[in-house]
Amino acid sequence: MFGEGLLKGLGVTIKHFFAPKITEQYPEVKPKLPPLVKSRFRLNREKCIACGICANACPNKVITVNSEKDENNKKRLTGYEMNLQYCLFCGLCVESCPTKAIEIDQDFELAAYTRENTKMDMYKEALTNPPGTAAKEDKGGKDA
Amino acid sequence: MDNIFINIAGWIRDFIAGFGLSEGLVYLAMVLVKFVAVLVFVLLNVVFLVYMERRVAGFFQERLGPNRVGPQGIFQLVMDILKLLSKEDIVPAGADKLVYKTAAYVIFVPTMLVYMVIPFGKGMNVIDLNMGLFYILAVSSLTTLIIFMAGWGSRNKYSLIGGMRAVAQMVSYEIPFVFSFLGVIMLTGSLKLSTIVEAQQDVWFIVLQPIAFIIFLIAGNAEINRGPFDLPEGEQELVAGYHTEYTAGRFAMFYMAEYANLLAMAAIGTTVFLGGWHGPWLPGWLWFFIKMYILVFGQMWVRWTFPRIRIDHMMHFNWKVLLPISLANILVTGIGIKAYEMLRTMGWW
Repeated sequence: MFGEGLLKGLGVTIKHFFAPKITEQYPEVKPKLPPLVKSRFRLNREKCIACGICANACPNKVITVNSEKDENNKKRLTGYEMNLQYCLFCGLCVESCPTKAIEIDQDFELAAYTRENTKMDMYKEALTNPPGTAAKEDKGGKDA
Repeated sequence: MDNIFINIAGWIRDFIAGFGLSEGLVYLAMVLVKFVAVLVFVLLNVVFLVYMERRVAGFFQERLGPNRVGPQGIFQLVMDILKLLSKEDIVPAGADKLVYKTAAYVIFVPTMLVYMVIPFGKGMNVIDLNMGLFYILAVSSLTTLIIFMAGWGSRNKYSLIGGMRAVAQMVSYEIPFVFSFLGVIMLTGSLKLSTIVEAQQDVWFIVLQPIAFIIFLIAGNAEINRGPFDLPEGEQELVAGYHTEYTAGRFAMFYMAEYANLLAMAAIGTTVFLGGWHGPWLPGWLWFFIKMYILVFGQMWVRWTFPRIRIDHMMHFNWKVLLPISLANILVTGIGIKAYEMLRTMGWW
């Protein structure tokens, strides 16, 4: 019959009209990333021995480790900064860490408005965002 | 509830009459008030329609569409218009400035003129002309001229082609569009829109004139340059057709006029074929509104389903398919009316 194809087409589109939407509702729903995605570093202050191996392992010299000697002549961590604007997220710092104090997870929302904000003070952040906390937590970090 | 707007109009009328004006002046003032009311109604609807179109388009493509500005993105067009108004207003160097500018200012006029006679409910039209339907057809065909003005005045090859195509398309489809109403006019014997709606008290004309209704939908769609008939502004070939060169506020005028036309077409269809304000339980104006939006949704459904028709197919379809069918429809309607009358005189009905 003439016009049958038109009706069929209308039928197809109305089915899609009521079908569940396939686009990713990003800010509300976080994407499921592949397991090897590396993005945000987190520091465990208790585990860190301020040896500085991570800083040496870093190909871009992103990491600054500050330490002082205490009364027992042991090194104590006083500051840990990552300049994320030069970081290539290779994860060599994580691999090199002898005490597994630095970890990497999949929180990718690291965008910042200014160049200064790309510096991540991980020493301070470790208090509010210790490793193992869920990736949804976005307080502190690069904006702090 | 049914007379809420008529009562409001009555109060305003009494209020104006309270100033001790003459009968004629009160009438004039009332027409002005009603005109403003219809204008506000149309503009609010246009704001909603653009949002609706984008939302519906999104849903047909299995995405959400605008959903950020305001609840569910309802204020998207408000922001769009504000953005457009804040942009630079460019007049092309070689443009025919008078024609170019005038086209943008008057593009809304024929559409608004059409709304003047539409009965939004029982007794709810600005002016109830005796020749309502004829007036609508006469006035709505003016849009062709304005679109051609825009295409010609821009001095741009794409605009010109778009304008030319608009003229070819709209003048051609005007004919089956007019003929689709003839059956209804023959049935009612009147061009007055309120009479046409009253005649649909028991049976809507979509039942008596289904073919005319389909012709109306197709030709109407072509008249407002939408859906598969958007040749005058086909993005892939003509950038934006006749409004290629328009920017800022003037572009916004064209953009909104397109949706005002869509709503006008739905309103005409509701009045002539879908029984206007008739319907059970709900107040008449609400029925009119619901039917209008059902037609609008249908138009959007068609637009987001079918690919654009080729220009020669468009002409072929009009002159070799729609026109003969609409003529045959008139013939069959005439025979039907005569047969009905004969059966009645012979007492068989």
